[in-house]
Amino acid sequence: MQISSAKAEVERLATTGVPVELLIEGAQPYVLARGLDTPAPPWDSASRDILIPVPLAYDLGTGLDGFYIALPYRFEGGEHNRVNGQTVKVGGREWRGVSWHYPDGKPFRPSVDNIESHIVHCRGFFLHRGAVNARN
Amino acid sequence: MPGINLRIADRAWERLRKHCAPSFKGRRDTEFGAIGVLGRRDGPDGKLRELVVAEILWPEAGDVVSRPRQALTFSSRYMRRAHMLGRKRGLAGIITFHTHPTAENEVGFSIYDDGQDPLLMENLQELYAETWLSSVVLGAASQQGRLWTSPADCTMLASLIAVGDRLRYLPLDGKPPRPAPAPSEIFDRALAMTGSGALALLADMTIVIIGASGTGSLVCELLARAGCRRIIVIDHDIVKLANLNRILYATAEDARLKRAKVDVLKRGIEGLGLGCEIIPIRGSVLDDAVLRKLNGADLIFGCVDKDYPRMLLCKYAYQHLVPYIDVGAEIGGDKEGIVSTDARVNYVAPGRWCLRCTGLVTPRRLAFESLTAAERQRKIALGYSDDLLLKQPAVMDLNMRAASAGVMLLRHLLQPFLLEPLPVTLAENLVTYNMKALPAAKAATHSCNICQVNSFAGFADCGEKIGLDTDTAAALIETDDDR
Repeated sequence: MQISSAKAEVERLATTGVPVELLIEGAQPYVLARGLDTPAPPWDSASRDILIPVPLAYDLGTGLDGFYIALPYRFEGGEHNRVNGQTVKVGGREWRGVSWHYPDGKPFRPSVDNIESHIVHCRGFFLHRGAVNARN
Repeated sequence: MPGINLRIADRAWERLRKHCAPSFKGRRDTEFGAIGVLGRRDGPDGKLRELVVAEILWPEAGDVVSRPRQALTFSSRYMRRAHMLGRKRGLAGIITFHTHPTAENEVGFSIYDDGQDPLLMENLQELYAETWLSSVVLGAASQQGRLWTSPADCTMLASLIAVGDRLRYLPLDGKPPRPAPAPSEIFDRALAMTGSGALALLADMTIVIIGASGTGSLVCELLARAGCRRIIVIDHDIVKLANLNRILYATAEDARLKRAKVDVLKRGIEGLGLGCEIIPIRGSVLDDAVLRKLNGADLIFGCVDKDYPRMLLCKYAYQHLVPYIDVGAEIGGDKEGIVSTDARVNYVAPGRWCLRCTGLVTPRRLAFESLTAAERQRKIALGYSDDLLLKQPAVMDLNMRAASAGVMLLRHLLQPFLLEPLPVTLAENLVTYNMKALPAAKAATHSCNICQVNSFAGFADCGEKIGLDTDTAAALIETDDDR
């Protein structure tokens, strides 16, 4: 119970070749998704790892929201204005929160969306939309 | 309730009675029956308290062999289907129901039943040693039930508890319900509203209240004054000056000495001399070890202002087929000011919508609340959770309306007097002087894994663990700094 469906999703994704794993840090579960394609430039690397906090009530129909980016990183030689959250140490690495949320009226749909679709949503940050946001 | 009871969803019980009704019409010479699978519910002492009917496998053609004036037999295929389903799902055993068509008032197992049940038990335990067999014989106006834990060990069951839009307690001793004893002088003025049968049930029930603050302490007081004699109160918090004005019986001294809310409530309610015992439990229902204490209860009152415990209570209610009344107060507002002040009651039970489907619990709030306190703080720092930090109103005059409506609903469940069907949500908007009976679940999902397709419904303790381990729960319980 609690995050058994998250565990099952991660296992399923992993068996299909998606590089994900579940980490628990101080009772808080996270999904570590490795190697998301990121355009370089503006990013300093062509791939990047992210960390997604999983609510303990995930099995009860909660949504996912936001993510952390592995540190250090550079965007256009500096900081991205949406990478403005607190830092956290998980799995022996440092991560920083990214303010990247679902738009009003298009929330995470618990019975439709899942970890895989949330990773796709997070990728949006590194692609065009995230880059445009950074300049606004 | 004393003895070992049998718990069943009211819809399943109604359907079973309907399925068996031909036995009691016309020539009244043919037995009818069906087989179900059983979960078990152990009390806090670890002893079996209740059997729970998880599912009835309605017979298909050839499953039941029944000829006039002969005893019914279940086909071995039907029996195997039930047994294998129970084993596959990790359930406690199977239950057979059959009728005795000529049993008008009283009913009892026949000599044939007494010979067959131990043989069946022996066969079942040869297949799987851990399995149990329960059997219920139905008369026109009564039923008798028993449990076999081995071919030689048989225990008679006490009551059948049917939970749904109503809450029915039926004796399983083979006799029709008997008139209840007159209530004691303290409670007899309630007879105009709640009959002696319902008052006797209330006196025998153990009710658990989650939350001992503004609403919970009021519900506790109302239940004690209604004649409930055993209440379990669960809350992890202590009395503070900030909540002194809304916890009944709490004093400044209690706040200074940091006394647990549950202990203060025990002192106050038991001091009334109404004969009501309060069992205080200091802890959070997020913690599975605390949540399991609900196994000692017949009905749950949820008086919390958080969505996560509400959803765990919903999950518990469907898995254990236990009725859950959620009471609370909500204030709604816009730029113009307050537009609604709702004193609200929701009733969760088999066949009814859960609090997520009613829209009371939102996925966003649930997600936020079920992050650890540290992760929640990081989320708050991002600034996208400000609306989730709004406090629910803590106003006694409003809480009282909700507590009152919740206890009235309990009276109705024991002896119906409210207009039926019961609404999904009953809310009194004090701004508009309007009582709203909301008939629809505004966020209803027919694939909801809590109330619609819960794969552990009726499994009770044979189902999955519902709460968190103690350390994880502790990591979630918010600190004062959180708000």
